[in-house]
Amino acid sequence: MAKTINKNQINSLLKEVEKEYKAFAPIKGPEGDVLFKLLCDGEVALGSEDVVISPKDIFFPQWETMFKFKDGQIEETCESAPVFLFGIRPCDLKGLLFADEFFKRDIEDKYYLSKIEGRFIVTIGCIKPPRKDACFCTSTDSGPFAKDGYDLQLVDVGESYLIEVGSKKGEEFIAKHAKFFTDSDADTAKTKEDAAKAVELKVDFKKALDLMADDKFTPQEIYERIGERCLYCGGCLYTCPTCTCFNVFDNATDGKGERVRNWDGCILSGYTREASGHNPRTEKWIRAARRYEHKLKHDCKVTEKSGCTGCGRCLSSCPVNIGMSKFIQEITEKRRTM
Amino acid sequence: MKNEYLPYPATIEEIRPETFDTKTYKVKFKDQKIADSFDYKQGQFAEISVLGVGEAPISITSSPSRKGFLEFTIRATGKVTDEIHKLKVGDVLHIRGPYGNAFPFDALKGKNLYFIAGGIGLAPLRSLINLVMDNRSDFKHIKILYGAKTPEDMCFTQELEEWKKIDDTEVWLTVDKPCDGWGCSVGVVTELWKETNIHPDNAVGILCGPPIMIKFVTMELSKSGFKDNDIVMTLERYMKCGIGKCGHCNVGEKFICVDGPVFTSEQVKKFPEKEHVL
Ligand SMILES: Cc1cc2nc3c(=O)[nH]c(=O)nc-3n(C[C@H](O)[C@H](O)[C@H](O)COP(=O)(O)OP(=O)(O)OC[C@H]3O[C@@H](n4cnc5c(N)ncnc54)[C@H](O)[C@@H]3O)c2cc1C
Ligand code: SF4
Ligand code: FES
Repeated sequence: MAKTINKNQINSLLKEVEKEYKAFAPIKGPEGDVLFKLLCDGEVALGSEDVVISPKDIFFPQWETMFKFKDGQIEETCESAPVFLFGIRPCDLKGLLFADEFFKRDIEDKYYLSKIEGRFIVTIGCIKPPRKDACFCTSTDSGPFAKDGYDLQLVDVGESYLIEVGSKKGEEFIAKHAKFFTDSDADTAKTKEDAAKAVELKVDFKKALDLMADDKFTPQEIYERIGERCLYCGGCLYTCPTCTCFNVFDNATDGKGERVRNWDGCILSGYTREASGHNPRTEKWIRAARRYEHKLKHDCKVTEKSGCTGCGRCLSSCPVNIGMSKFIQEITEKRRTM
Repeated sequence: MKNEYLPYPATIEEIRPETFDTKTYKVKFKDQKIADSFDYKQGQFAEISVLGVGEAPISITSSPSRKGFLEFTIRATGKVTDEIHKLKVGDVLHIRGPYGNAFPFDALKGKNLYFIAGGIGLAPLRSLINLVMDNRSDFKHIKILYGAKTPEDMCFTQELEEWKKIDDTEVWLTVDKPCDGWGCSVGVVTELWKETNIHPDNAVGILCGPPIMIKFVTMELSKSGFKDNDIVMTLERYMKCGIGKCGHCNVGEKFICVDGPVFTSEQVKKFPEKEHVL
């Protein structure tokens, strides 16, 4: 029989979890914004708050020391503690699983992979879309509830959360913490149906992928408009759950210091500049094209999955109203949206 | 799990000046186990660090047939490469790799080979050339066509003389601007088409140099009847990680650092035009 947990039990459960895991959840800061942080950083927020940055930064931090060095000696600094991710959204789950696969492909990335080892994921379905006019997860088939890939999933049924179990690990967790859970025969079908209806923004994602799959399809005029309008702030890349590009540099004085990697992005002009000064992507539209083609074309060729999760953060974080859903509307509906 | 980003110390055993801004470094890993496991192929590259300054991708110019050391030919063009040029014999570099795919080798056996290089582009080709020379009887006729801006910009001048002396091997040199006493051709490397016969029969052209040179040489080879599959070249892109993760060298769905840097003309033609790979 399915289990539920009363909402007022969540904090006590998480106290238990903290003994074993480095536990992260959406945490409301003093200014009211919500970010994925350690439990000790504040109050857990499981409503329809917009978590501005995807949880990718827990495993792929914006700034990460790769190793330290002093007098020619290298000291590896690679973290690994099992992470408990509580209350991530289905779109972000899809993003994480996508990034996992990428960092495993060909040559493995130890910094990322050591941080996901033993990871436990609890997703929470979205009753209301957190980025109201930007979420389009029903079009990308990634929400508002996850179908698989989680250990546990919470379904908000009023006073309590119904628990969906997605893995053996999840099952064991329920057994281990049995005192927090009670049996329930609540039916979630209606809740899920209403939640899907609440996602108002819909795009023809399949049509977009079909169009983009054709190498001859280059909507240059749209790319040019995006290239002209974009401020090159990088917001869309940094908040995107599947953007994983990084720069590497040394931060040192007198031979003592660290090698660091930090987030970088294909839309930025220095990204492809070579030592000779030659830059194959000087034109703005080519850089704009790179971003859309990467998510909607190249990713599908390599993994058969698109790199867009429908989270809508590119649009909600953009100061000039550019976003993946707008691009898709332009190419599929042949109308101007930007 | 191996941490692919950690470089290993290697001592500089010899430094040979090539041109006013280019030097060849012969290095040896300090740890013999690392040296033994560094099993590279012709045309691969390594990431070379000067700790505290940064890292740069550099082709391995030594031949895998000559064991016990690695050689890199490095032009001073910026932060890391300038710093490498300040180092002396006995100093230490940090190296990781080898990365990227390789020039074909077995597939070249029994063929006539045309090696065509511009400037420092001879460095990656040299790895394959010496591997071929160490197995000379497996190959037919060899022509090495090499161009540089001026005679002073030519790398590996001594070795070019030695290759010339090998049976069935020709070396053709050209410079954009000659100096007094220059006895070879003048003009870009495609000018050599007027001096020597370039035949597509049972032949492969292997190219390395600046993008503009590769572009024109590819066109000339095609005009001479070479099939796209028989034109092999290396591409260069700005690289950071060298292992298909940082994204910087992406072109279409490929990473030049993993899927390349060696490509055939046939593969290059499939890259989207707007990527300006050449
Ligand atoms: C596969 C491969 C093989 C190579 N093999 C060789 C070889 O055998 N020999 C050789 O000499 N070279 C080789 N190169 C080229 C070599 O990697 C570069 O010359 C080297 O990376 C230069 O590094 P640097 O630190 O010295 O230059 P830097 O000082 O780092 O300058 C170069 C880089 O910094 C960035 N940069 C510079 N100015 C700016 C600015 N104003 N704003 C933002 N960014 C800037 C550029 O993006 C540029 O890529 C190879 C390159 C590749 C990809
Ligand atoms: S958020 Fe908007 S303005 Fe900023 S880089 Fe992305 S598209 Fe450009
Ligand atoms: S250099 Fe990082 S992906 Fe190729």
